[in-house]
Amino acid sequence: MTIIHNRPLDDIAETAPTIAGNAFTRAFSGGSLWRLIGMLVLILILGFLTIYPLAMLLYGSLHSTPPGMAGEFNLNGYRSIMTTQNLIVLANTIGISLAKTIPSLTIAVFLAWIVARTDTPFRGTLEVLITLPFFIPPILTAMAWGMLANPQVGVINMVWRWLTGGTDPLVNIYSYGGVIWHMCQYSIPFLFLFMVDAFRAMDPSLEESSRMCGASRWTTFRKITLLLMLPVLTSSFMLSFIKGIETFESALFFGLPAGIKVITTDIYESINHRATPDYQYATSLSFAIMGLMFLLVIWQWWMLRGKSFQTVTGKGFRPSVMELGPWRWVTFAFCVLFFFITVVLPIGQLMLGSFFRFFGFYTYDMLTLEHYRAVFANSEFWRAVRNTMVLGLLGATATMALGAVVAYISVRTRWRGRNLIDSMAWLPWMMPGMVLGVGFLWAFAMLPGPIPIYGTIWALLLAYIALGTPVSVRVMTGAYHQLSYDLEECSRVHGATWAQTMWRIMVALAWPAFAVGWVLTFFGIMRELSASILLYSVGSETLAVVLMKLWANGNAEQVSVIGLMMMLLVIVFRWVQLSFIKARISKL
Amino acid sequence: MASVTLENVSRMYGAITAVDNVNLKIKSGEFVTLLGPSGCGKTTTLRMVAGLEKNTGGRIAIGDNVVSDSDKGYFVPSERRRLGMVFQSYAIWPHMTVFDNVAYPLRIRRRPDTEVRDRVMNALRLVEMEQYAERPSPALSGGQQQRVAIARALVFEPEVLLLDEPLSNLDARLRTQMGDDFRALQQRLKITALYVTHDQAEAMALSDRVVVMHGGKILQVGAPEEIYRRPENRQVAAFFGTPNLLNATVKDCRPNGGQYFKLSVEGQGWSGDCHAATEMPKGADVTVMVRPENLHVRDAGQVNGDLSWSGEVSQAIFRGSHRSIMVKTPAQTLHVEASSLSNVDIGRPVTVAAPVEAAWAVRN
Repeated sequence: MTIIHNRPLDDIAETAPTIAGNAFTRAFSGGSLWRLIGMLVLILILGFLTIYPLAMLLYGSLHSTPPGMAGEFNLNGYRSIMTTQNLIVLANTIGISLAKTIPSLTIAVFLAWIVARTDTPFRGTLEVLITLPFFIPPILTAMAWGMLANPQVGVINMVWRWLTGGTDPLVNIYSYGGVIWHMCQYSIPFLFLFMVDAFRAMDPSLEESSRMCGASRWTTFRKITLLLMLPVLTSSFMLSFIKGIETFESALFFGLPAGIKVITTDIYESINHRATPDYQYATSLSFAIMGLMFLLVIWQWWMLRGKSFQTVTGKGFRPSVMELGPWRWVTFAFCVLFFFITVVLPIGQLMLGSFFRFFGFYTYDMLTLEHYRAVFANSEFWRAVRNTMVLGLLGATATMALGAVVAYISVRTRWRGRNLIDSMAWLPWMMPGMVLGVGFLWAFAMLPGPIPIYGTIWALLLAYIALGTPVSVRVMTGAYHQLSYDLEECSRVHGATWAQTMWRIMVALAWPAFAVGWVLTFFGIMRELSASILLYSVGSETLAVVLMKLWANGNAEQVSVIGLMMMLLVIVFRWVQLSFIKARISKL
Repeated sequence: MASVTLENVSRMYGAITAVDNVNLKIKSGEFVTLLGPSGCGKTTTLRMVAGLEKNTGGRIAIGDNVVSDSDKGYFVPSERRRLGMVFQSYAIWPHMTVFDNVAYPLRIRRRPDTEVRDRVMNALRLVEMEQYAERPSPALSGGQQQRVAIARALVFEPEVLLLDEPLSNLDARLRTQMGDDFRALQQRLKITALYVTHDQAEAMALSDRVVVMHGGKILQVGAPEEIYRRPENRQVAAFFGTPNLLNATVKDCRPNGGQYFKLSVEGQGWSGDCHAATEMPKGADVTVMVRPENLHVRDAGQVNGDLSWSGEVSQAIFRGSHRSIMVKTPAQTLHVEASSLSNVDIGRPVTVAAPVEAAWAVRN
């Protein structure tokens, strides 16, 4: 058995192949020409998704007329955003984000501690329940809370009046408190998900040695546990704060009716709610908020520089679990209460709303199924379902495929240009959906005529891919980091080519992460409102947009029906994700 | 099984030379170990043979086939070199069963299913793992993973078997046992093996020849006993164990009748005879190496050997299998490994002696 590629010692002719690049890539890839073409295509795709809308944002902010019309360049946009009114908007944005981050972080730390470090009963189930709100589209809970805590006809206030006999409402969702409250419902599970593994993976010997040195449980918690968690806590804080600035739904539903404006709603209003949409104002504001986000991200980097998140060593630590005694039922009750308020109450309200003729009049003779009939007979609804599904499936697949390729190149190769594509893929991280929406609005309008993307479903798809790429790259980067190079090299030495190794080893091992990322991206697309509402047009509405339109028309009953459908979808997907994918992962 | 030839093989990383002009010929069926401290270039050398790194200078041949020649820009990628390799981490693919892991090299080469089954089971039988064939591979212990890795490396009957510190992740007891098992297997199958380790005991127990490397260069190549007893220089001498290295001056040098020279040397407060590989001029400064296990402690004044030192016992540590005794002499403190039964009082004046065969001189 001789191999044709091996030649006798003295017979190496000048026909011997020469391969460019450094040793590692030469050993691990095919020809360099294909690689070069591949990289160029990738840079073009990423450039179109991130750099192009960003550049158009700058262009638009200096352009005096709406996208696609002749106009002149001036600084009027930036002049018009420099108003005292906008200072209040800025203060609102930052203040609300801070006000929701601090309590959210406190509660999330407490919940993470309960689930990871105490002997509270049914912790496994509680973990699933606590994180569920994160997967529910915010627009649904926003509408549900709009009905629950409406000062006049909200269920909570009706019950309160009935109990006390008074006439004043207990809570009014249309207020600062309401906006913050709704944001907290999303921040808490998000932060919990972000932190719980750090709590779980902490090396217990670090705490035990503190106890052995004579420190009490409480001192140990303060001086060791909390300080070890500090890098995670800091980054959680920053992340939550940045997310708070990007949030759109809470401020749209509860802020605008009360006259509370934040930057995202201000951009939205200036395009959708003015007699003539002021694109230059909106674009300038978008560019300004992106500058703010950029500074925040830089600050985050600076704060976290050199800090290691690695209290996690990858070893299967069994963290020391604190025995709470009877208190464990208190912690259990706290978790259940959280689940009840954030999931059961809104779902209950949607059910209530969907079965009664008029929202707010809950009597027996008002019971009806007419809203279900109306929704199911509505062709716009079915079109939106189809659009959302198509966008979700295509978008999640494309986003994850892009993320998997970008992450592979930046983590596992030494190819020239890998840092460039990594940074390009990361750019949308500092663009809120609303800002990216405005950027794409310009980007599509400026495309040459024969490329009719604007106003089609593909416009939404491209925006979703851009929005999802930073997360998909992070997910896949994490997955690749966990696979040692040996696994790949071993396959090569034993006779597999680069392509065979990719398929049989890397894809086979990384697919659970891919699947997890896919589901996350799918959820992300299903809940997306801020970019969709700028980029949709008749025929390409998503479910979130249809909900929004129905709500604006005061049709809370049909909103409830559609909301319930979406909720059902979320729960089914989440269940599939947990039972199917987790089973596959734990098998590994 | 094939031989391996390295001719002037070098590897540069930027301006840093990781492997510097290495020449080595491994005969067919031979077990050669690359030994050295971490960063000495041994793993890089192995990876260049594997084709996982490209040599920046020289050429490598497996059997009669050149697989890499940097001058001609010729390079055969790993998968076409027909090698087997055991990684330090074993690199057992966690998503496959034991059987699938071992079958991988055959399936990649599209062998028929019946052949795959037979050869995999044969390979697993060699490492006594046939009853674990259907196990998911993460459910294996370290020792079992290592056996699977060996079976996988052998299943395709590779030209050469490469091993990168395969025993370093096992506990001490298992390490010895696995090492002995593997050596027996290698000799039975007449496999050409290139083995990398930093563990001297492992290198000596397993290899036909040991290659001692340091700073990217080969210091010495030879049979384990040769390297241990007759190092070519002070660095190699110091690498194995904790030998006593004494400075001395040559008084006389004459042929020994055999392949060595017999030297008369004199140090600070001692003198005697020892062996050396080359002729040394009178008055040359040399280092005399005496291994602790070849030294004997006698009562003071009782000279019984070709070399002797007078001193007093400064420390005695019971180590179970032996007793470490430190004897303070005018030249330096000597480390002696004595029987654990021997009992020495600290402060007692003694004479330390060694036979001429146990003392080896190298030029400074």
